[in-house]
Amino acid sequence: MSLAPIIGALAVGLIALVLAIYFFAARSGQRTQAIFFLIVGLVLLVVGGALGWQRFSETNPAGPAPLVATPKGPIQIRILTALPVEPWVRDAARQFNEADFTQDGQPIEVQVTAIDGLTALGKFDRDDFGALGDRSRDQLTPAELTQLESTFPTVWIPDSRYLVELANASYKERIGRDVFLTDGEYRARPIAVSLFVWGIYQSRATVLEQKFGEINWSSIHDAAIAKGGWPELGGEKGWQYFKLVVPNPRRNAGGLAAMIAAAGEYYDRTNITVDDVMDPDFQKWLGELMGALTDVSGASAYTAEDFALFGYSAGDGGQLLESDLLNNMEGIRTRWSDPLVIRYPEYVTWFDFPYTVWVGPETTAAEKNAALQFQQYLLTPDIQRLAVQAGLRPVINEVNVTQGENLFTQWQAQGVEAVVPRTTRMASPSREVLLALLRWFDLNVGK
Amino acid sequence: MKQTRTDQRAVVITIAAVVAFLLCLCVAVILVFVPDRQTTEEPGAVVQVDVRSATLVIAHSPEKAALVKSLAERFNGAKQRTPDGQTMRIELIELTSEEMVNQALAGLNTYQAMTPDSSLWLDQLNRRWSQSQAGQSEPGAITSSLTGEPVRYAISPIVIAAWEDLARSLGWPDQPVSWSTLQERAQQDANFRWSHPSTAYASGLMATLAEFYAGAGVQRGLTAEMAQDPKTVEYVSAIEKSVKYYGEAELAVIQRVAQDRTALDAFVVSEQLVIAFNTGKFGNAAQSNKLVAIYPAEGSFWADHPLALLETPAVTDNQRRSFQAFREFLGGAETQKFIMEAGYRPTDLSISLTGEGSLFTAANGVDPRQPQTTLQLPTADVVQVVQNVWALTKRKTNVFLVVDTSGSMQGEKLSNAKVALRTFLAQIPSDQEKVGLVEFNTNVANIIELDVLAKNRAILNSSVDELSANGNTALLDGVRVAYGRLQQSAEPERINAIVAMTDGRENASMVSLRQLVGEIQADNRNLPVVIFCIAYGRDADYAVLQAIADASGGQVREGNEETIRELYKILSSYF
Repeated sequence: MSLAPIIGALAVGLIALVLAIYFFAARSGQRTQAIFFLIVGLVLLVVGGALGWQRFSETNPAGPAPLVATPKGPIQIRILTALPVEPWVRDAARQFNEADFTQDGQPIEVQVTAIDGLTALGKFDRDDFGALGDRSRDQLTPAELTQLESTFPTVWIPDSRYLVELANASYKERIGRDVFLTDGEYRARPIAVSLFVWGIYQSRATVLEQKFGEINWSSIHDAAIAKGGWPELGGEKGWQYFKLVVPNPRRNAGGLAAMIAAAGEYYDRTNITVDDVMDPDFQKWLGELMGALTDVSGASAYTAEDFALFGYSAGDGGQLLESDLLNNMEGIRTRWSDPLVIRYPEYVTWFDFPYTVWVGPETTAAEKNAALQFQQYLLTPDIQRLAVQAGLRPVINEVNVTQGENLFTQWQAQGVEAVVPRTTRMASPSREVLLALLRWFDLNVGK
Repeated sequence: MKQTRTDQRAVVITIAAVVAFLLCLCVAVILVFVPDRQTTEEPGAVVQVDVRSATLVIAHSPEKAALVKSLAERFNGAKQRTPDGQTMRIELIELTSEEMVNQALAGLNTYQAMTPDSSLWLDQLNRRWSQSQAGQSEPGAITSSLTGEPVRYAISPIVIAAWEDLARSLGWPDQPVSWSTLQERAQQDANFRWSHPSTAYASGLMATLAEFYAGAGVQRGLTAEMAQDPKTVEYVSAIEKSVKYYGEAELAVIQRVAQDRTALDAFVVSEQLVIAFNTGKFGNAAQSNKLVAIYPAEGSFWADHPLALLETPAVTDNQRRSFQAFREFLGGAETQKFIMEAGYRPTDLSISLTGEGSLFTAANGVDPRQPQTTLQLPTADVVQVVQNVWALTKRKTNVFLVVDTSGSMQGEKLSNAKVALRTFLAQIPSDQEKVGLVEFNTNVANIIELDVLAKNRAILNSSVDELSANGNTALLDGVRVAYGRLQQSAEPERINAIVAMTDGRENASMVSLRQLVGEIQADNRNLPVVIFCIAYGRDADYAVLQAIADASGGQVREGNEETIRELYKILSSYF
């Protein structure tokens, strides 16, 4: 609160008292006026004093800031969520908000912000959200406190656990502790999973499978470098060159996952090192592959939604998240009259969407506990079934993708499988591998 | 008597004290109870933000003004509220996509969200913003973005719009028609008139990129080196020489051809404008002169109209809620149908483009199965190089500014016109463009001869500063002098144009309107000079200006003291 009303009340109160004295002292002894000003003066002094006490008790530096904040309305849970799960999390949040959940007697309001995992990692790396660092809450100015309480994320749902580990590594270096816990009550827990699969327009897939037998990174590479374009591969002239779709690694964590999966197949192993990324032969091979991207500008994240929206004009096929593809299968068929087929790669990259609560003092205990309530809600069978409806694979045993009508059963004929046929899972990349790939992309493709 | 005076004085003092007390109380109440305001100080602007505000200001590109306005009205009509009871509201400002980028980078905070015509502007904005942030310009650095995750609500491929008979002569619909088909035709046929907007607009930039691809002989992997290769530059220059004139945006171009079919044979626009034209949305008789959309065989581009929130501290929680609500509104089934009815392809893929009543029909000149392929959109750095090289290779201009300084221009009118003229000059970045000035009142009062801006810019700016108003209006003489000078310069490889402005009625010229129109019509056969006329204020002689513009294939635009600067700015984009 500003000092102006306090000073104003005290000053006017004093003036009123002076006037009261003046009227008392007047020769004619004007008692009525004197009593009036006396009362007004006293009231204003009391009000000013009360406001002053309130103002200064707000900034009383005695002891650490309480973790349980004075209730000021609903407890706000701000969730940064990866794009593939955002529609499902948002739907769940809406239901949760309507169901009147409470924490310490206060209603809970879940707010969802869509943000790509890599972009969020960049924000955490640069401390864009304004973590307290060495300061405590009581050292903040009122404006800083308001900013913290209205913008700091309570929960982060990145695409993959490795992004949480990278964020923790960054904070550990900066402030000497983890900010997201990997064990205990607030540990990061997957809320749904999905994997990267090949999605290709059926007309194109037929041509590629006739030419190469199997769709994998090697055959896609050969298609990408075909000088005569589609006619050379056996396709139509109007299709021009083979156009690859993978998410842009600058805009979408899926792009890095796809490049790591490509490296896995190239080296025929699951663990990729910086030396592997730096190998000139691999870089040449990857460069030829990425040369077939339709959009290297970074203007688009190149998710399955873009793939569907712009159809075969922007991409013939590529490796994208299964859930994204499933959500767009119907739309692709409606819009482009050429359905998509799904093929499962040999080296599988999973996204596990860990629900990660910020454990630092930037969020209060009530906020953390309210966040855990929402996490539990996401893991209930009903909400997990909603995840399946959204093309995600569930993480609880009570729910599976073969139950009832869902996207998995609907698109079986297009190659979707309830049980992933091959399980060679790519290991999580280290920060160094990730940065080396991004650097390579920037220098060779994206700039 | 004395007692009465003392009583009166006491009453006066009491009243004064009570009034003072009430005033102080009001001030205190206002300070305590009015919502907190945060002051955001940015370079060049101090913007006060109500932290509870749920009014979201969105900057939009001009070509979809009508659509966005309708959408905002529908959204505002629903009067949705935030949890703390604020009414969610969308307000709009119109800016070119390039201006949006520049204003966002300048941190002006005049809008919280933006919807340019293409995502490539968001990329450019984020790249430039990222480069301005410490430690983010290194390759491999994990960068942040100024914009949040964008959402698309309407898309439209960039096409070559051509009159049906002309399209057939190019081989459409049986043969593939490509960018190079159009370019070859333009080079072979001197009477062929085509145009694309400047690179400040997505459609203009896309057309230019296609030229660079064709010039470099590739369909993907365009690099900065390829774009600067002399062979590519020569190819692009040759094509650009066939452009009749550039223009402010595709909307203005199609409005122009709706009035006059002969204005252009082909031009680059978004598909939705072809549908709008063929369904008579521009007041033209539908189907009498049909346009068809040619989807270039080597690839097209998409105008994808993203909507993104600017992630600045100035954005309030409630504005964020309004953004989310508007985003959901845009994705709603009814809104998506409304968007489709406006000729855009909706982003809701469950809506079929070929269903009953769809506008995406051959009768409307479009094909929903197209485009088959797109050209590769290069990186922002390459796009920047293309924009820069284009500025050098584009068809150069000889333009005369013809300015009325008659007595009626005195005061605010003239001072605003001076600002507008300076804006016009500032908007032409290339020093190789030739600009001259003819000032007229009772006679032709002053002439700054046509010369390259490298030599002329300072002279023109100081002449503009010195303009003063008096006398009558010899508009026709002024135009005639400029026209004669352009004909004498005889440079057909350049765009030759006049921008003539007047606020009154012709009353002092030696030459008659009929004589001038006759001269223009005769001489334009050898060297076309396009005359753009500005009717400045209500008293301008619109009929005379229209006759001059018509004789030259130009146009008349109306302006007033508020819009004159913007008008000159728009006209500068034609050159």
